[in-house]
Amino acid sequence: MSIEEGDKLHVVTADDISDNKKRLGKFLVWGSALILALILFIQTLDTNAYLSLGLETWRPSLYAYGLWAFCLCASQVLTRGEHGKRVLFVLPAALFVISMVVFPLLFGLVIAFSDWNLSSPDGRTFNGLDNVRQMWGDPFYWNALKNMVWYTLVIIIEYVIAFGLAILLNSHIRARKFFRVAFLLPLMLSPVAVSWMIGKSMLEIRFGPISRFLRWLASEPSADLPAILFYPGMYISEIAQWFGWASPSFFGSAGIARAMIMAMDAWTFIPFMMIMILAGLQAIPRELYEASEVDGASRWRQFLEITFPLMLPVSITAVLIRIIFKLKLADIIINITSGGPGGATDSVTSFIFREYRDRSNVGYGTLLAIVYLVIIVIAMTILIKLADKWMKPRY
Amino acid sequence: MKVDLYNAIVSAQMSRRKMLKGSASLGAVAAMGGLGGAASAAAHGGVRAEIMKIPGVGMGSPGDPEWQKVGELCMGPVKERVAEGEFKGVELTFMGLNNQNLHNFLFRGFLKPWEAYTGAKINWIDLAQADYNPRLQQSIATKTVDFDIIEMGAPFEGDTAGQGLLNEMPGWVKDQIEYDDLVGYLQPPVGTWDGKAYRINIDGDCHTFCYRKDYFGAGSITGRMNPPNTWQEVNQISKDVAGKTDPLTGLPAHGFLDPLKGWGGFGMYFLTDRAGPYVKHPDDPAFLFDIDTMKPRINNPGWVQAIQDVMDLIKIEGAYPADQINADPGTTGFQQFLAGTGSMLTWWGDIGSNARTSDTSVIGDVVGFSAIPGSDRVYNHGKGAWENNYNEAPNNAYLGWGVYVTNRVEGDAKKRKAAWSAAAHIGGKDISLWTSAYPSGFQPYRNSHFNYDEWEAAGYDRAFVEDYLGSNLDTYNHPNSLNEPRIPGIFQYYSVAEDELAKGYAGLYGSAQETADAIAVAWEKITDQIGRESQVKLYKAALGL
Amino acid sequence: MSNQIFRDSESDRQFSASWFTGRVFIYSILLLWAFICLFPIYWTITTSFKMAPDVMKGNITPWVDFTPKWLGWRSLGLSPETIGIESTVREEFLKRFWNSTIVSVCSSILAVGLGSCAAYGLSRFNYRFGFMRNSDISFFFLSQLILPPVVLALPFLVLYKSLNLLDTRIGLILLYTLTVLPIVIWIMRDQFSSIPTELEEAALVDGLSIWGAFTTIIMPIALPGMVAAFILSLVLTWNEYFFAALLTSSHAKTLPVMVASQTGSQGISWWSMAALSFAAILPLIVIAIILERYIIKGMAAGAVK
Repeated sequence: MSIEEGDKLHVVTADDISDNKKRLGKFLVWGSALILALILFIQTLDTNAYLSLGLETWRPSLYAYGLWAFCLCASQVLTRGEHGKRVLFVLPAALFVISMVVFPLLFGLVIAFSDWNLSSPDGRTFNGLDNVRQMWGDPFYWNALKNMVWYTLVIIIEYVIAFGLAILLNSHIRARKFFRVAFLLPLMLSPVAVSWMIGKSMLEIRFGPISRFLRWLASEPSADLPAILFYPGMYISEIAQWFGWASPSFFGSAGIARAMIMAMDAWTFIPFMMIMILAGLQAIPRELYEASEVDGASRWRQFLEITFPLMLPVSITAVLIRIIFKLKLADIIINITSGGPGGATDSVTSFIFREYRDRSNVGYGTLLAIVYLVIIVIAMTILIKLADKWMKPRY
Repeated sequence: MKVDLYNAIVSAQMSRRKMLKGSASLGAVAAMGGLGGAASAAAHGGVRAEIMKIPGVGMGSPGDPEWQKVGELCMGPVKERVAEGEFKGVELTFMGLNNQNLHNFLFRGFLKPWEAYTGAKINWIDLAQADYNPRLQQSIATKTVDFDIIEMGAPFEGDTAGQGLLNEMPGWVKDQIEYDDLVGYLQPPVGTWDGKAYRINIDGDCHTFCYRKDYFGAGSITGRMNPPNTWQEVNQISKDVAGKTDPLTGLPAHGFLDPLKGWGGFGMYFLTDRAGPYVKHPDDPAFLFDIDTMKPRINNPGWVQAIQDVMDLIKIEGAYPADQINADPGTTGFQQFLAGTGSMLTWWGDIGSNARTSDTSVIGDVVGFSAIPGSDRVYNHGKGAWENNYNEAPNNAYLGWGVYVTNRVEGDAKKRKAAWSAAAHIGGKDISLWTSAYPSGFQPYRNSHFNYDEWEAAGYDRAFVEDYLGSNLDTYNHPNSLNEPRIPGIFQYYSVAEDELAKGYAGLYGSAQETADAIAVAWEKITDQIGRESQVKLYKAALGL
Repeated sequence: MSNQIFRDSESDRQFSASWFTGRVFIYSILLLWAFICLFPIYWTITTSFKMAPDVMKGNITPWVDFTPKWLGWRSLGLSPETIGIESTVREEFLKRFWNSTIVSVCSSILAVGLGSCAAYGLSRFNYRFGFMRNSDISFFFLSQLILPPVVLALPFLVLYKSLNLLDTRIGLILLYTLTVLPIVIWIMRDQFSSIPTELEEAALVDGLSIWGAFTTIIMPIALPGMVAAFILSLVLTWNEYFFAALLTSSHAKTLPVMVASQTGSQGISWWSMAALSFAAILPLIVIAIILERYIIKGMAAGAVK
């Protein structure tokens, strides 16, 4: 790893690294690498029964790897001094991620291109691109992808709501702490609890509070009520009945089921976006608003010209993270609708879970997941590039 | 509360035979039983009489202390074969479910005295029902099996025994659990796998037909005097009551409750209830696949008729409650039927036990049970034609839970003996009497459970018990009962069928035949993927052919 | 003051009416949303005190619609009468609770530690590793968040089995750190970008090494942000279900699996599920209340570039 000119932080001191230190650093790295290679070699021989050391696990290799990683970090400092210390900021995290992910990802790729049904006595058999062909013709998968487009579009609405709430929380109100904590709570509920307590218990058709409320709205007010309550009541009940709330159905049709799932997911995650936007709003200096008031700007113009443009970076960050979480949506769907009336609420992840867990079709399921990963990465890259371009001209 | 319920039922108008024919778990009996409480409990001892008194009437649901007491009292057979402290230093791992804080928690209570006596230690792996199958499969496939004893459903024997994962039952265990005591359908071939015994049964499973008595009789909204005997009648009743009012709750009345959503593969059992009488011909042991080729039968006219019946009811407005498309079996059983929605249902025995003892239920006084309806005509797959005679095919759905020992204990004789001893303790003859009688999630499965003298001595009403248990026995021993094939991946077939059925019910396929064809195509794919020859071989082994 | 010189003009006083309706509008929306947020949680709490028929009937207010009972908590062994006696369920619950706590806290701390350092580096220096520049490295970290867990499931099973890390807390901690590291880096990167570099440059001139400058000057300023990232990681790892169900057996088991198993083929015990869910989020709520001010302050600093 090298560091180029153009660091945001300029090094002031010039290092004077002695040759001895450099040699020590190099020695550390290569020495520990040698130890690692040796232990790996011995353990491979052991597992293939060329040696019999009676080692049960690959733990020694793990420890040797840890040693090598530590030496690598140390050597960076030793051999490159100040520059090495900078590299040291990022090196542990990068090493950690790479080592945790590289083997599983490679193995995952192997699984993805093989035919592996866990019940099959043959075990894993490589089958090339067959899984890809199967995926191409799988109606469930494409249906789920289509649903994901719908789900992602809703993020715009969530964003608007979150923004609105953040603005409200930013104005002068009492009991700010209460509202902030209250709005943060939905994020903490575990997805299992959300899907059961809300999806199944609260939204229960016959006796759940929501359906009772809707039915009450749709029921005709009793004739004994005074006129001032009676007529609006009739009006409301007629509207409610037109909506079909006399016998409410939350998951009966494709459209409504999807809407309910979107609503529940939005409920859980709007606090996340709201908090980020609120934080950004609090950082906008007062003077800008006051200056614009002096210039005679209305509230709406203030919003358009000051608030929104300055919030753009935060908004984009929030929306991008929200998109990633939304694309992983699965728990609620699995628990409440199992993919919904005829696959209407199926998300890609929930379909993959069904394929992977219930049908033990591990090879195919892994391929679906990897294809999904690639799609998302491409989409994210495009979005980030667009976002960067969009933000630049403003400054 | 239990005594009142029992009295109410005893004085119920309907004949008791009708009421409880082929019924459910004896949790109902226990909760209602102990008539007269401790006073009339028989004086003569005997372990079985002792344990039937724990916790007794009016003491609420049994909990950990009760389980431990029962476990302690049943230690007799264990003590005969194992010396005290014999397994000191042995550590076993037990994998099972922990639904509703039963199953594994129950076993913990039973095995605490065992652990204390033998000196062994048990580690527990508790899984939720939905995770159970995937976890099992993944452990086997990646060779990360880390459990010695496992509580497993019989259908999964294909995946475990078929791959050599299970340890064969030693002879002394067969003696200890008195193997010959098991009811008919649990004897070989269902009792064994490929001729060998692996399973210690702790449960018997079958689906029964539950119905609302207030929908039948004079002046009722169906206009019929008696509950239905055939599926044709059931469908007609569902059409007739659509739009009428339920006599108990005042809400809209509904007929038969079909679960239209899947439930991890278990939803398929409910379609099988409907299809059984159509497709299970008395002369033919197979009903899901052809024996020699593993060709699916799911798209033969019998099965298609069953799917068509459901689709017909979907089309009729009001036949099903709102949102039925999102109702899985848990919903139809517990949130709908027990809460007063709908009038007919097929389910496992839990509905029966909960109907009278659970506060969830509002139908305790008006529920009746019978065997699954038959059909006026049956499809003969061999001949390829319908035959117009009456046919019954009750469904021993899921076959029952069992306790097995894995081959992780091979090579270590002491550990093997310890594992089998623990398993045998849970599956013992006396302890199982208790589990059938009290809320445990397990149903009667031994001939000795049907010993009316014991029940009477413990204080239960003789005629009632005779009637109730006798009808249970009939279902188990029915000559044309459905026992599912214990082939590897059986739940994969069910799961993919659920997916396709969901699409069919939502109208995405043109007809029932198309839906069934789609399922057949998917099943063929699975069979090919797992390996057709091995499936055929294992199918035959499971059927005992 | 008896002689007022400056008076409010008419137009200023007219503000009161529209200002008032504005206030009403704002508060009503806030209250509405607070109701939407809190009602399900209230529902969970009350359900844990209900008996089965109350759950069926959907009664809402305690003591008005139904009498609260301890049934839900008793099934967990946490009701007043069962607190004293031995209860397997409660032991199970406490063990899982303890495991969840350890795993979440440790993995969050580890993630915040590694992530903050990495974020600091990414915001201050230009790295080049092969073809990857700063933005590529950040994206690499972000892609770990996108990675579907299914891809990793079986490989991790095999990997952990060979390293004897199955069913250990360390194994879970390492995995969870991997899953939340991207979020920490993402948040902290924004944080550090907003702190001007003059501070460190001054420290460097004074002779501190870069690490010294980081620990003594930057970290205290960025502490609120780190707390915010910590809380977020905590919430995410606390509720993690997929890998917990896959990789744990009897020693390292965590809470979400127990919540999920309240449903099964014998029906749904709403009350114990509600009790369990509430007990599971209670610590998070407490933490949220205590540390709420850090969350806002933390994310504030770097949000607007």
